[in-house]
Parts: sequence; structure tokens; C-alpha cells
Amino acid sequence: MATPLQTPLQTHSTMTSEALVAVIFLPLLGACAAVMPGRFPARLGIVAGLLPLPGLLVAVTLAVWHDGPAWLELGGWAAPLGIRLFVDPLAVLMLWMVAIIGGIAAAHAWFDFPPGTGTGQKFWPLWLLLISAMNALFLSADLFNLYVCLELVTLTAIPLIALAGSKTAIRASMRYLLLALLASLLYLLGVALLYNATGTLDLYLVSDGLGAAPPMVVTTALALISLGLLLKGAVFPLHIWLPQAHASAPGPVSAVLSALVVKTAIYLLYRLWLWSVPATVAAEGALTLLAVLGAGALLYGGVLALLQERLKLVIAYSTVAQLGYLLLILPMASSSAWPIAWQGGTYQLLSHGLAKAAMFLAAANILHGLGSDRLSDLQRLDQRQPLSLFALAMAGVSIMGLPPSGGFLAKWLLLEATWRSGQWWLLAVLVAGSLLAAAYVFRILAATLRRDDPTEARPAAETRSIPAAQTACALLLALLALAAGFAAAPLLEFIEAGTPGTWSSP
Amino acid sequence: MNPTAVIYVLTAAAIFGIGLYGLLVSRQILRQLLTINLMGGGIFLLLITLGGGAEGPPDPVPQAMVLTGIVIAVSATAFALALLLRWQELSGSSEVDGDAVTDAVTDALDDDE
Amino acid sequence: MIGLAIDSVLALGIVWMALQTVRSDSLFQAMLMFIVFGLLMSLAWARLHAPDLALAEAAIGAGITGALLLVTWRRLQVHGPDDSNGPRLMTRWLALPIACASALLVIIIGWTALQLPAVPGTAGELTLQRLEDIGVSNPVTGVLLGFRAYDTLMEMAVLLAAWLGARAVATEFRPGVLPGPAHAEVPLVGALLSLVVPISILVAVYLLQAGGSAPGGAFQGGAVLAAGGVLLCLTGRLEAAAQASALERVGVILGLAVFSLTGLIVMATGGPMLALPGVWAIYLVETALLLSIALTLVLLFAAAPGLRRAP
Repeated sequence: MATPLQTPLQTHSTMTSEALVAVIFLPLLGACAAVMPGRFPARLGIVAGLLPLPGLLVAVTLAVWHDGPAWLELGGWAAPLGIRLFVDPLAVLMLWMVAIIGGIAAAHAWFDFPPGTGTGQKFWPLWLLLISAMNALFLSADLFNLYVCLELVTLTAIPLIALAGSKTAIRASMRYLLLALLASLLYLLGVALLYNATGTLDLYLVSDGLGAAPPMVVTTALALISLGLLLKGAVFPLHIWLPQAHASAPGPVSAVLSALVVKTAIYLLYRLWLWSVPATVAAEGALTLLAVLGAGALLYGGVLALLQERLKLVIAYSTVAQLGYLLLILPMASSSAWPIAWQGGTYQLLSHGLAKAAMFLAAANILHGLGSDRLSDLQRLDQRQPLSLFALAMAGVSIMGLPPSGGFLAKWLLLEATWRSGQWWLLAVLVAGSLLAAAYVFRILAATLRRDDPTEARPAAETRSIPAAQTACALLLALLALAAGFAAAPLLEFIEAGTPGTWSSP
Repeated sequence: MNPTAVIYVLTAAAIFGIGLYGLLVSRQILRQLLTINLMGGGIFLLLITLGGGAEGPPDPVPQAMVLTGIVIAVSATAFALALLLRWQELSGSSEVDGDAVTDAVTDALDDDE
Repeated sequence: MIGLAIDSVLALGIVWMALQTVRSDSLFQAMLMFIVFGLLMSLAWARLHAPDLALAEAAIGAGITGALLLVTWRRLQVHGPDDSNGPRLMTRWLALPIACASALLVIIIGWTALQLPAVPGTAGELTLQRLEDIGVSNPVTGVLLGFRAYDTLMEMAVLLAAWLGARAVATEFRPGVLPGPAHAEVPLVGALLSLVVPISILVAVYLLQAGGSAPGGAFQGGAVLAAGGVLLCLTGRLEAAAQASALERVGVILGLAVFSLTGLIVMATGGPMLALPGVWAIYLVETALLLSIALTLVLLFAAAPGLRRAP
């Protein structure tokens, strides 16, 4: 397969290398600063760890745009001896998502977790480490280093959930932790087998050795790694830990969990199956199996989202469903429609991230303002929190896939790809998934506009006010999700440039 | 084939299986943590045995991986124990709910309010 | 032949302890079995020609983990009975075939893998060939602080995350004596401590400097030093404080910060990121790592935000 590996790759200018390193190390050192007592080090750590990220990414994006994907050999040791970073359009896109969603969610969290005081002291070092860990994960080209990164993501994300402090949150954290540790072990066992069979841990070099290794060892290794990632990525039917964990976490944490943290596992599944596995390994069956799981997620998550009585649980089950789209594209990897499918899948990654983060921030504002997120308590929301409702609705438009949102574009591309490649069952699943999404989003909106029975509703006086900036954070993300539907042409071109090579059909 | 290597591969497999069984049937979180650590031990043992430990000094890369793995395991265990203490403080017992599926469906966030 | 007999007995012992960890009725007994399991594993590492792992397993896997388990068990007693019977994830009849199948899978895969001809040009082979470039003769140290230093750096971040996480979930803390054995002071304790704690410092320093050429290194040394700290907690010489002092916080982040900054300075002066310039830099970083590891492990054991000397 024609991966970027076969094209000659130059190491980029030192400026790009330094920008890549800074993207990982600024939040890391920021976390160290935030450990120190007092407000100043905490604020310094947050500002220095998060604010420069977009600027650095502009440099990285321009370099990748002009010169193509690049490596950075850490310590100057070439793989397989050392560890290298790899940056291509997909990685750049993920880094942008971390910078934007992580940044806006951080602004939202600034009010609930004031830096340097009380719970803020516990919150910010973990948050910055999580951002750093995700950036490191998206850049790492080494299977074992990715194991360490995955553990770091898990061990920073779970305490952030537990910071909610409720019994539900602690229980959800415990369950998440046990399953995540199991998932890491499965992943590690697979990596151990791959190293033994190929003598390398480099994600992009393993493919050279896989052809010579016994197929059974390779199949088992890939199956174990995938199983671990499916469990970490909460892919149906291994999603059981997700809804409670995402729904009970503090608002900004929920946003980052749903928009970014579960995507780390999906991202690695992409890397594994679309970059590492060469054509010699019969991958068609595995990709179809993954897509079947995706279809299951889309339908099951959609139905369960429809049955929830609480806003945050609806949104959490919606995440279970929307992750399904990301796996649906895989069987099309050998078809001529693959570039379109890849664009659609990647665009879904982006637009779902923005929309879901917006929904969770809006839900956090509503929960904080009304003291409840039961759908039955949301009536007359248009009078009580019009802007939060507006953000929720705009993000909902993207989740449903209505024009002109980013979600619409993603789903349109996916439909086109299934149509062209003649994968009719995928087309049927896509349509059904979108209908379910429309149903659960409308159900939320209907609940907020209801006016019946004023005696049952809580009096408006109970409404607490929300800092305007927190409302603005949710709105901003929702606007970005919508805006992703416009101005998409250069973005899609960029994504297409990074399309993983296609298989020659058997 | 080196008989020592065979012995340790069998041991690794046994520990992994016993750990998995224990994880699935344990009624206490603390014991589930122990079993996860057992499974990890099995994987480490396999890694070193396949890395040639039976014949001479094993491949240094798996050794470094296991060393890193041991430190990560103690970190994860330490955090899990802290979380367990908090959980038991809130609930008064250390069982983890088994029926996760129905649980996740029916559970409400009652204590969030 | 004798070697084979030793390995067989050791293997049986390991499997037996694992089985007891899962099967014993009392949770306390299960923990003890698990600690013995860790000690036997450390013997297995020695038999498998991996003394670095033997040291790490004994100090961290069995020692520190064991101490953590026992102290947590004791703390759990405060809140109620431990052997509560929650529901299982699966029934035994479903779990048994799954576990047997997975063990069988590992056997088959391991068996197949053992018969593979050695792959040429593995990362491990290259490590041994290029070890001189790092300047240490212990290949494991060469990998951990040279070729794959980035893994070690991220691993320190994991350790920091564990401490931050434990701190985040801990409840409001009452300063004072740590929960441990009763503090009826036996006269011998003081004499013993004045012997054991300096020894732990000595051993830690020895392991650190030996790591370049012999088994040892920052992780083993850090765990041994932490053992000394754990003893000071257990005997009431150190007690819990409500806040971590600035010095303690510096200590916790020291390893990560020194490691990152050294790597960044190298990059800023034109070298590749994280290429440690010479053996002195390896020892500098390792010293910082050792201090951070030891302090973090003691704080995790104490489950307290900070520590202070008992009056």
C-alpha cells in the first residue's frame, strides 16, 4: 500500500521540529508549574501551556501543507533504535482539536476551578497533563510509547471525572479505571507479540516485518491491540463504562472526554489498520468487523440516547452512537470512493468533537443554572437560558447532520462514499443513525420549549446566573461546529492530502 | 527449543489466565486490582522469555519495557487504591456493581443535585 | 539439570501464589499471597538473566506495592468490613472457559513465537551495537536514558499523574499521626531506624551510580529510598500535613522538570531533542528522577497531601 512512508520524507526545518516538541512540552511544564502553590504559578502554567498552542500549530500546519508529512527523531536516534514523532494532516487535525476544544473548555473551567485555590489546585495540573498526553499520543510513532501515552491519558482523565465528587462519579471512575487498565494490558500483550515478530516498535516500520511473521501471531497481536483500543474507545458493545463516566464528570471534563479522549483510541485504530497493516495481511474481514461494531454503536447508542431522562446522559449516549460513524468508513478502504469516505470520516471526527464539546458545556451551564438536567425540568429554557439553548440547538444541528453544519458535510460525504462504493448496508445504517440523531436532538429541544403545567415546573427564581464567559464558551464551540460547514474546501483538501493509501482490490 | 523458555511461557500463560478469571469473578475491587496486576505479570514474563531470557541476557528493549511497565503498574495501583478508599467512604462497601449494562441504563445521577 | 528443577519449582510456586491470590477467602490473605507472588517473580527475573528487573520487582512490584496494599487494607477497615460480597462481573461457569481459552491462546502464541527464527536487525540488537554512543555499559540504562529516554520521561509524567490523581480523590484531610501500627514506642525502634534509614540512603545512592554499568538505576534506587521513607511514616517519625510544602512540590516535579528542561536546552543549543550530552547529564537526570520517585512513592503511601517531621 502506498503510505506516506514510501514517499521520500525530509525532516522539516528546525523551527517545525521545535514547534512539535513545544506542543507536547509546554503543557507538560505548565502542569509542573501548576503543581506549585499559589495563584501565580497556576495561572502562568495554564496560560503558557495552552495559549501558544494555536500559534505553534499554524507553523506546523504550514510546514505540513507545503512539504508533506515529517518525522522527528527524538534524541537523534533513528527508528527502530529510537522513538520518533510523526506528523501528517491527520495528526495536525487532531492537534488543532486539542488546542481549540481544550482551550475553550479550559476557559469554561477557569470559573468553576479557580486556578491556585481549592479544587482548582487539584484540577489544573491534571488538565494540563491530559492535554500534553493527548498531543504526545497524536504525534507518537512508537507502539510502546503509545502505551505509556494511553496510560497517561487514562490516569489524568479519570481523576478529573472523580473531581465531580458525587457517588455516581466515583463509581463511574472506578469502573472506567478497571476496564481501562484491562484494555491497556490487552494492548501491551499485542505490542509484545508484534515486537517479538518484527523486532521493531515503530508504528510505521512494523508493516515491513509482518509479512514474514506467522499469520497466527500477527492476527492475534492485531486482535489484542484492537480489542484494547475498542475498550478504551468505548466502541459498542464495550461502551458500558462511558455514559456514566461522561455524564457525571464536571462539564469541561465531559466536553474533553467525549470530544477528544475517546477519539485517541479511534485515532490509534486508524493508524494501526490504515497505516501499519500491509496488504499481505488479509485485513478486509477485520475492517468489515470493525464497521459492524460501528453500525451497532450507531443504532444502539441512538436508541439508548432516545430513552434517557437526563440531558447529560442523552449527550453521552449520543457519543457512543456518533463514534460508530468513524468505524463505518473502514470497509471502503479498498474501494475507489475511499478518498471521499476518508474525508467524511475525518470531518466527522472534527465536527462531532466541536459539536459534542459545545453540547456538554451548554449542558453544564444548564445544570448549574437550573440545578437539574432532567429533561422534564428543562421547560421554558428559552426564557431562562436562551443562549445556552441556542448553543445546544446549533450543536444539535451538527449532530443531526442538517445543513449548513460541519456534521452535514461529514454525513453527506459518507453517504456519497457508500453510494459510490455500493455498500448498501452501510448506507442504510447511515440513514437510520441520522434519523435516530434527529429524534433524540428534537426530543431535547421539545423538552426545553414545553410550557405545560406551570405548577410542576420549578419557579424561575431558582435559576442561578451563569458567568457570561461560560455561556460564550459553549456558544463559540457551537458556532465553530456550524462554521465547519462553510469554509470547508481548504480543510478538505488538506485532509485529502493525508489519505492513507488504498488497497489494491483482491 | 529451550526447556526453560517453555516452562516460563507456560507460567506466563497460567498467570494471565488465572488473573483474567479472577478479574471476571471477583466480588471486591481490591481483589480485582490484584488480578489485573497478575495479568500484567504474565505479560511481562512472556515478553522477557520471548526476548531470550532463558538462554542469556534478554533483549534490552523488552527489559526496559517491563521496567517501565512495573512503574506504570504501581502508579495505576496507587491511584486505584486512593479511588477505592474514596468510594468506600461514600458507599460503605468495596464491591463494584456487577451488572454494568442495566446499571448504566437505569442509573440516574441522583446525587448530583 | 538442577537449573531446570529450580525453574520448575519456581514456576509452580508463582502459579500457586497467583491461584491463591484469586481463590483465598480472605482478602487479607489474598494480598499476602500477591506480595509473595511478587517476590517469586523477582526470583524468576533473576533466573531469566534480568537482574535489573529482579531488583525493580522486589523493590517496587513486591515492596512498595505490598506496602500500599497493606496500608490501604488497614484504612479500609476504618469504614467497615472488607469482605463484602458484591455481585460478580460474570458467573464462574462463563468466566472459566474464557480464562482457559485466553491462557491456551497465550501458550499457543508463545510456543509459535519461541520457534520463530530470530529476526535480524531488531531494536535490541541495534541497542547492543550502539551502546557506546550513550556512554554506559548497562544496556537497560542505555535504553531507558538514551535510545528511549522519551518513554522514561512520559513514565515520570504517569507517576506524577498518579500522585495528582490520588490527591484529587482524597477527602478532607486531618493532619496528624498517620494510620499505621499502634505507636507504643519500643526502645529498639529508634536504634533500628537509625541503622535502616541510612542504609536505605546508601543503597539508593549505590544503585543510582551502579546503574551505568551494573544492575540498578533511578527506579530501583528510588524505590529503596522510598522504603526508608515508608519506615519513617510507619514508626511515626513523619506525620501527615494538611498541605504539601513548596519543597515537597518541587521534589515531586523535579524529575520531570529536570528531564524536560535538559532535553529542551539541548535542543535550543542545536542538538536533537532529548539527546543527553554525556554521562554527567544522565547522572544529573537520574538523580532528579530518583528523588522524585522516592518522594512520590512515600506520599502515595502516606495518602496525605504532605508530610512533616513529628514533634
